[in-house]
Amino acid sequence: MRPNRRSFIRCAALAATGNAIGLRPFGALNALAQSAYDYKALVCVFLYGGNDANNTFIPYDTSGYSSYAGVRGPLAIAQNQLLPLTPLPNFALNPNLPDIQALFNSSNAAIVANVGTLVAPTTKAQYQANQSLPSNLFSHPDQQLEWQNAAQSGATPTGWAGRIADTLNTTYNPNGTVPMITSVAGDTLFCNGTSSTPVAVSPGNLGAAACSETGTECGARLATAQALLTFDTGLTLVQADDTITSNAYNYSKVLTAATASVPALQTVFPANNGLASQLKQIAQIIQVRAALGVNRQIFFAGIGNFDTHSDQLNLQNGLLAQISPALAAFYQATQELGVASNVTSFTMSDFSRTYQPNSNTGSDHAWGSHHIVLGGAVKGGKMYGTFPTLALGGPDDSGSNGRWVPTTGSVQYAATLAQWFGVTSAQLPTIFPNISSFVSSNLGFV
Amino acid sequence: MGPCVSLRNSLPSVSALLLAATITLTGCGGGGISTPAAPVAVTVTGNNQVRLGTTAQLTAAVTNTSNTAVNWQVNGVTGGAAATGTISTTGLYTPPAAIPSPNTVTITAVSQASASSSGSMTEAILNPIPTVTTATIAGLGPNYTVTVTGVGFVSGAQVQLQGQTLAATVASPTQLTCTANLTLAQGTTSIPVSVINPDPGTATSSPANAQVTIQAPVTAAARLLDQTTFGPTLTDIQHVESVGITGYLNEQFAAQPTTLALIAATPPTACTNNLVPCAQSEWWQATLTAPDQLRQRVAFALAEMFVISTNSVNSRAVVAFQNTLVNDAFGNFATIMKDVTLSPGMGAYLDMLNSNKPVTVNGAPQIANENYARELMQLFTMGLYLLNADGTPKLDSTGNPIPAYTQDQVQAFARAYTGWTYATATGGTSTSFPNRAANYTMPMAAVEANHDTAAKVLLNGTTLPAGQTSAQDLDGALANIFAHPNVGPFVCRQLIQHLVASDPSPAYVARVSAVFANNGSNVRGDMKAVITAILTDKEARAADTDATAPGGHLREPVLWLTNMIRGLGFTNNDAVAGNDVVANASYNTLGNFTSTLSQKPYASGSVFNFFPPGYVIPGTTTNAPEFSLENTATAVLRLSLANTVVFNRITGFAVNLSATSSWGTLAAKPADLVDALAMLFMHGQMSSQMRTTIINHITTLTDPAQRVRVATYLIITSSQYKILH
Repeated sequence: MRPNRRSFIRCAALAATGNAIGLRPFGALNALAQSAYDYKALVCVFLYGGNDANNTFIPYDTSGYSSYAGVRGPLAIAQNQLLPLTPLPNFALNPNLPDIQALFNSSNAAIVANVGTLVAPTTKAQYQANQSLPSNLFSHPDQQLEWQNAAQSGATPTGWAGRIADTLNTTYNPNGTVPMITSVAGDTLFCNGTSSTPVAVSPGNLGAAACSETGTECGARLATAQALLTFDTGLTLVQADDTITSNAYNYSKVLTAATASVPALQTVFPANNGLASQLKQIAQIIQVRAALGVNRQIFFAGIGNFDTHSDQLNLQNGLLAQISPALAAFYQATQELGVASNVTSFTMSDFSRTYQPNSNTGSDHAWGSHHIVLGGAVKGGKMYGTFPTLALGGPDDSGSNGRWVPTTGSVQYAATLAQWFGVTSAQLPTIFPNISSFVSSNLGFV
Repeated sequence: MGPCVSLRNSLPSVSALLLAATITLTGCGGGGISTPAAPVAVTVTGNNQVRLGTTAQLTAAVTNTSNTAVNWQVNGVTGGAAATGTISTTGLYTPPAAIPSPNTVTITAVSQASASSSGSMTEAILNPIPTVTTATIAGLGPNYTVTVTGVGFVSGAQVQLQGQTLAATVASPTQLTCTANLTLAQGTTSIPVSVINPDPGTATSSPANAQVTIQAPVTAAARLLDQTTFGPTLTDIQHVESVGITGYLNEQFAAQPTTLALIAATPPTACTNNLVPCAQSEWWQATLTAPDQLRQRVAFALAEMFVISTNSVNSRAVVAFQNTLVNDAFGNFATIMKDVTLSPGMGAYLDMLNSNKPVTVNGAPQIANENYARELMQLFTMGLYLLNADGTPKLDSTGNPIPAYTQDQVQAFARAYTGWTYATATGGTSTSFPNRAANYTMPMAAVEANHDTAAKVLLNGTTLPAGQTSAQDLDGALANIFAHPNVGPFVCRQLIQHLVASDPSPAYVARVSAVFANNGSNVRGDMKAVITAILTDKEARAADTDATAPGGHLREPVLWLTNMIRGLGFTNNDAVAGNDVVANASYNTLGNFTSTLSQKPYASGSVFNFFPPGYVIPGTTTNAPEFSLENTATAVLRLSLANTVVFNRITGFAVNLSATSSWGTLAAKPADLVDALAMLFMHGQMSSQMRTTIINHITTLTDPAQRVRVATYLIITSSQYKILH
């Protein structure tokens, strides 16, 4: 089911007139509640460490591949192992992404090419003249933060998902009993807004804290513990912890109640797969979205170890081999829940890696990367953005080691997802202050 | 009339010495005119003062007789007596034990030739000159008890110290005490003291160094232990109260380092397929039981700064790495930098191991692996931006921070670090690069053929010239970094964050980095001095007396769990349970309890540690690194773990919280139980509101064991406890 732009516009108009709430039946726990809005969810899968996109999405035509093999040397993957993309014959995927290949070929996944952190469109010359660049381009923590906050410095204290929640929560989730944003991978900047905070859940551990006392003591112990949280000690850190703990009690109660009597998902998620556990938990929460009173949700998942300075082929192949079936199972679960076109997943990562190998069978920190977007609403089977010229010292190389100057800004990538999600063009500049520096705020992939 | 008279008339010419002598005239004999003999004269000489405990040798000069013998008397008694002092036949006078009143005696020497001839002298008896042998000054301050041992103390003696003269209580001639109100700075180990004996003959001893112990109030003792151990115990708190802060730190600095046993070549069965459990087991056991707790805590802090992980590094190397940090913790920071750099664990983790000089392969040139070069500066020593000594970033004229290094410098350092691979089994240089035979425990060794020998332009205009060996380049590179002004504030601020407070004031950071720059003896990087400065700084000690002083930090999951295990007295019962032949197998599983809270020792998910030093609590400007692990998910998991703890369900361990335990015995009076737990866990600073609430609740329970469990649970899960303040 494609997103209904008519219903979206109607909702927006009603929101403007303040009638949105009136259309909602009283009681968010009514599982049959008719919502004024359709449901949408964004799922971010963060690849910590800097995934080598040069070995994820690879030239497949004769001259393109040959050039690739020549430069990448020990890092090059054999052509006959690559996974061809039917709608895009000049490109192929890493051999460990067969599910992504299938989704791409069925138009449910797309590639966004050469996307990276940018303050504004930047040429090679401008980079070399040090004009207006994101700060600390090759530093892991800074680039992770800048992908998550769509700002030019890690110092911006809110993530773009957090800012979306700040803007849309009242409109879309007025009766939500949980925040718009759920993280299954701990605390991240992505999830933090100015007024909105996320709920973090531990995959498979949604329930309340354990209590082994008997009789009424569990309730009494809990009540006493919660009373202690209300005392003012005058100490900043104690108060901060009180807030987190109060929220923890509250959300675990809500989530436990919401998931208590739903049937288990039939989709089988791969075992021994950290990302799969996270995505399964997300699917389980999406399953009870009505009970949670939410029409819009943003989820954050993440896995690490992509910083392949050495032994890259083995390490990256192993990681991609986890991502592929995990995302496939997740997509299948969204189909099972009837929300395949309501959920869009997308990858982000610190940066890509040097096209030029290092002397350790690995690669080092680079910049412009290729990312995957997938879901029923994605206009898949295509590459968006501009593929870089894969030449060391070439027109797209910031230097001489193959660190591509991005031709698409990560803020454009985020803004595209945000607009599908429900952010209006009027609201865009609040969430993405530098979006006006770019020609297009919507890359059109979803 | 006649010649008999003339002798008398000659008397006035006799010298003064003879004035005291009496002269007896012989009568003029009948029968004719004769010259009478000169009378026998006795003159007593010698010192006319003698101190108790000494003797005076007196001399009698007898004239006008060939018999010079005398009989000595004290106050008219031959030989003297106990009360007046005795005198030997040779005139050696020994004063009495105590000064008589008045304090004089008359010493007389009577001529044996002429009993009517004698000489006398008045002898004054004085107090002894006191001697101080040892002295101690101990107390909480400002009042201290001074105890002095020595010789010759008399009633009325005074103690002189720090410009004061104080009355003393003299227990015996060899010991006295007094109370003194003194101003003693923390860290003072001795001050001079003297003893003054009163008149008669007032005299002052030579000064001696009194050993100072500034004892610690219970709150200070408990807080210091919380800052310097993996968990205070009530016994340890009492000990630190007694020996004081400086005393305790000195004990800890002197304690023997506890290192981990290297994993055996044939590992125990529990680790045959995966060495991580062996490393975990060793680490937890040492951490929980080692007596050198401060060293272990500092090593833990260093391991969270110089991060490596069993996720990608062989556990054998991780064990050796931990030992490196433990051994180097109280040495010099430059040594830490070098030993970490050459450790195979760090080499493997950040790719310095087998980092080859850049070569061209099939026409395709390569670059040197930048991983270690970048992270050594960015994460381990300097950070991204130039820093002031107080840890704040320097700003340029437009108010922006200034990068501390460039990408080119990273690549230059990367080339400087090339050529290193595993050492041979005996620690020597391999003949091949890379060395395929792993040596996980000895420093890496370099193969010169694989070292980049081009010049390298490093920081602050330093260039390593072309043609240097790998060791020369390495030493030059590390010295270049070590000398950078960023290192002090960058490293000190993080050490403060791990030991004392998440968000230290810039002034605190500046005080400590000044010590890093110069320990007082012109040495840069003295870890012992830095650690002492961190722990004794007024900002670290402020909450000793002010429960509302800002500061503190959230107990990270590993510390929280060790706090429980040590504080509540958990014991390992592997032997009892007949568990795996590996001793202490259950220590390994402790990591499983904390890993759900996102922390397992030496298993960080990334090189940025479990929590980054710059983490700010969302929606605030509060820098609080450990909060990066604190979210609604982990908060609930910690509550569940607390339940596991109080229900004695930590696998392989046992804790006694039963009705017959020491806690259970207190439980008959809920206030006593809560106060004891508050002393153990909250430095005796639990607010009265919290105290009342917990007491009121557990009073409703009748089972003492349940009272103990619930009171403990409520305290250890409270934010007031979770924040180590």
